[in-house]
Amino acid sequence: MYNLHLSTEQLEIRDTIRDFVTREIKPVALKTERLEICDRRLPMQLIDQASQMGLRTLALSEDRGGAGADHLTCCIVTEELAAGDADVAAVLSTTAWLGHLLFDHAMNDAQRERFLLKFVSDDRFHLAFAKYEAQTDTRLGVNYHRPAPADVALETIAVKTASGEWIINGVKDYVANAPIAALFAVVVEIPGQLVPKVLLVPADAPGLTVRAHEKPWPHGCGGDVTFKDCPVPAGNLLGDDAAALLACVDIPGDGTPLFPALNLGIGRAAYEAALDYAHLRVQGGRPLIEHQAIGTKLAEIAIRLEVARASVWQAAWASDHPEAIADDSLPDLPLQAVAQIFTSEMMVKATKDAAEIFGAMGVMRDMPLQKYIHDARVCQHSGNGNSDAKLRLAEVIARFRRPAHAPMAIAGE
Amino acid sequence: MDFSLSNEQRSWQMLARKFADEEIRPISLERDAIPIARETWTWDIIKKGSKLGFRTMAVPKKYGGQETDFVTQALVMTELAKADSAISKAFSQNWKWSHLISAACTDEQKERFLKPFVTDDTFVLGKGITEPGAGSDNRMPPTDDPKPGLRLKAERHGDEWILNGEKAFIANAPVGKLFFVDARTDPTVPLKQGITMFLVPSDTPGFRIGKVFNKSGWRFYQNGEMIFENARVPHANVVGEVNGAVRKTGGAGGDTTGGDLFGDLELSANALGICDDACESALRYGKTARQGGQALFAQQHVQLKINRMYMMTEALRSFVLRVAWEHDRKIHSCNAGLAMNYSCDVVQEVTELYMDIRGADGGHMDPHTDKVVRDSFIWSHLAGDSVSRMKVTRRIIN
Repeated sequence: MYNLHLSTEQLEIRDTIRDFVTREIKPVALKTERLEICDRRLPMQLIDQASQMGLRTLALSEDRGGAGADHLTCCIVTEELAAGDADVAAVLSTTAWLGHLLFDHAMNDAQRERFLLKFVSDDRFHLAFAKYEAQTDTRLGVNYHRPAPADVALETIAVKTASGEWIINGVKDYVANAPIAALFAVVVEIPGQLVPKVLLVPADAPGLTVRAHEKPWPHGCGGDVTFKDCPVPAGNLLGDDAAALLACVDIPGDGTPLFPALNLGIGRAAYEAALDYAHLRVQGGRPLIEHQAIGTKLAEIAIRLEVARASVWQAAWASDHPEAIADDSLPDLPLQAVAQIFTSEMMVKATKDAAEIFGAMGVMRDMPLQKYIHDARVCQHSGNGNSDAKLRLAEVIARFRRPAHAPMAIAGE
Repeated sequence: MDFSLSNEQRSWQMLARKFADEEIRPISLERDAIPIARETWTWDIIKKGSKLGFRTMAVPKKYGGQETDFVTQALVMTELAKADSAISKAFSQNWKWSHLISAACTDEQKERFLKPFVTDDTFVLGKGITEPGAGSDNRMPPTDDPKPGLRLKAERHGDEWILNGEKAFIANAPVGKLFFVDARTDPTVPLKQGITMFLVPSDTPGFRIGKVFNKSGWRFYQNGEMIFENARVPHANVVGEVNGAVRKTGGAGGDTTGGDLFGDLELSANALGICDDACESALRYGKTARQGGQALFAQQHVQLKINRMYMMTEALRSFVLRVAWEHDRKIHSCNAGLAMNYSCDVVQEVTELYMDIRGADGGHMDPHTDKVVRDSFIWSHLAGDSVSRMKVTRRIIN
């Protein structure tokens, strides 16, 4: 039965994080230097604290040392964190979800043996998925509802040496978490093999260098990763389906709806700030909220937040209950994409309206409103953007099946 | 009906386009990227533009200005804003207040202030209305309550007025040489009956500039705090009558004369320049950027976005030029205000569509795209907020 009555555990973790955000994250996030959108150094101390609370290993199964949180719980946590600081939320949700996919699904026992203890015990052990390459166009675009041309080969190549070791050469562009990751999952082309494979590469592997992006657009932190004759033990190769499994991590709209959950947190931060201000600020002889124009605006922001959250939670609940799609209780559509597109469009409107309530203060860099707008725009233009996401959704609605001989230029699709 | 421009209007437009292309656009992104608010300004561009007449073009010829008509002013603002909206505003802010000098100052005041303004390339004007506790209250003050609205106090002592209080967000404050300042001279009556406007030179004793506001858009354009600590202003600097700022000069909350009505046209003409920039940039990108072996423009969703951008921009252009034309014929209407409100909706949608077309390619947003979107958000609190819309509605009703 479709049920969004949160469990005691879910309510507890939500309130714990809400409290952590109020006490620890907000005071840092609202400092002037943190509001500068062009200088977003990560507050590592907060990320460490969050790790100590178990948020870095949130989605890892309980018997492996994590919290075993389901999709819905992860979305709730991500929204709460993002209401404090979108970058903190992005870093932690990336590591937490990758941790679940890698350690609970993609790794074999020997691989877990080598990496799990470090992952669970080290607060600075973050994870990154290196897939994109600058020359690879992942947009659907002109290939909408057409048999696309054959896949463009990856330029990051892994070659097996006589001793069985892999040698990687190539460059991955925009890798989320790259500057802080301890372990990379790297999509590589292996000559002679049909589909791309994934290799586990520790950050300290010889020949691996990370160049952090100075002014990144996406949330969190990111960078280019270069592999130059980088040796990796034979045992670091993940199974054949790993590339497809992990692909959902950084394509908004696939897998778990963490991106729209983060986006919701940004909208909520703007809403709460505007609501407080509307109670405090007096113009026209009464608090702003007592004016119809402002009351209506706040009502519209609240509607956008609630309806967007319903779409995010429905998508998360559906991921937790695949049987609900199997028996036609929910439509067989990429509900995450629906939530992603709708939420990102609504949150840009919501943050702009919230800022307008602040008048001139809404455009000041030492005030958070302009940053919430920026953060919402980042979500709207993550991945390949909403126009491309709508084309993908349209193909699903049209029940279009791309011929097998002409795969899209996207690993795992 | 005749939509053609005169030779003079055309030549000003061409001069502005050339100046924008050769001088403004090359420095636009670099000034925008400077992180410290008070360092984004450069006198070099102001001096160059001033020598071409872009600082003084609203001043009547008999005082040494160019006396251009409103249509010309709209055309020039649009051309300058197409290269940089904030730099265009830095020039046109002077026109706004030179309209006010012409309309409201005595001959003696014009002699003292308009002459040095015209001859000095670095003479910039501003006007102080807004205060930390009074923004909307100045623009739409309650008519039955003396408390809301600006609090800057002016008390008369013989031939001088003593001013105490502060102003916030004042445009050109950090760089201006002369300011119009609205102050309370009768705190016992509602705002509109109790304020007086003063001419305050920047070297007035007891007057200084505080912080420079660090804005997310319009980075070049300087907004600052004004602090008055027993600032002494001669009675000869009162504009119009004591307690008559609104009645005589279109001061805070007023909407009857040049300064305010020009301001509405100014914001819509400036927005039009941003829209022109976004449209041309989108078209250029659509033709040159490629996806799947074809120009981006080949895709239907890109064509539809570019269509909407041009449609809204051309509608705005028609509205802006009609308002300018009506101003030149002294036709009273609500159109200036409506065009201003409309320009907020248009400039934001058009620049956001441009950002959609560009996308965050490879995890980066193109700095120019980011800038026009940030600049456009300034309209939300100046031109498109509920107070400015309701204020215009009141003009429709009355």
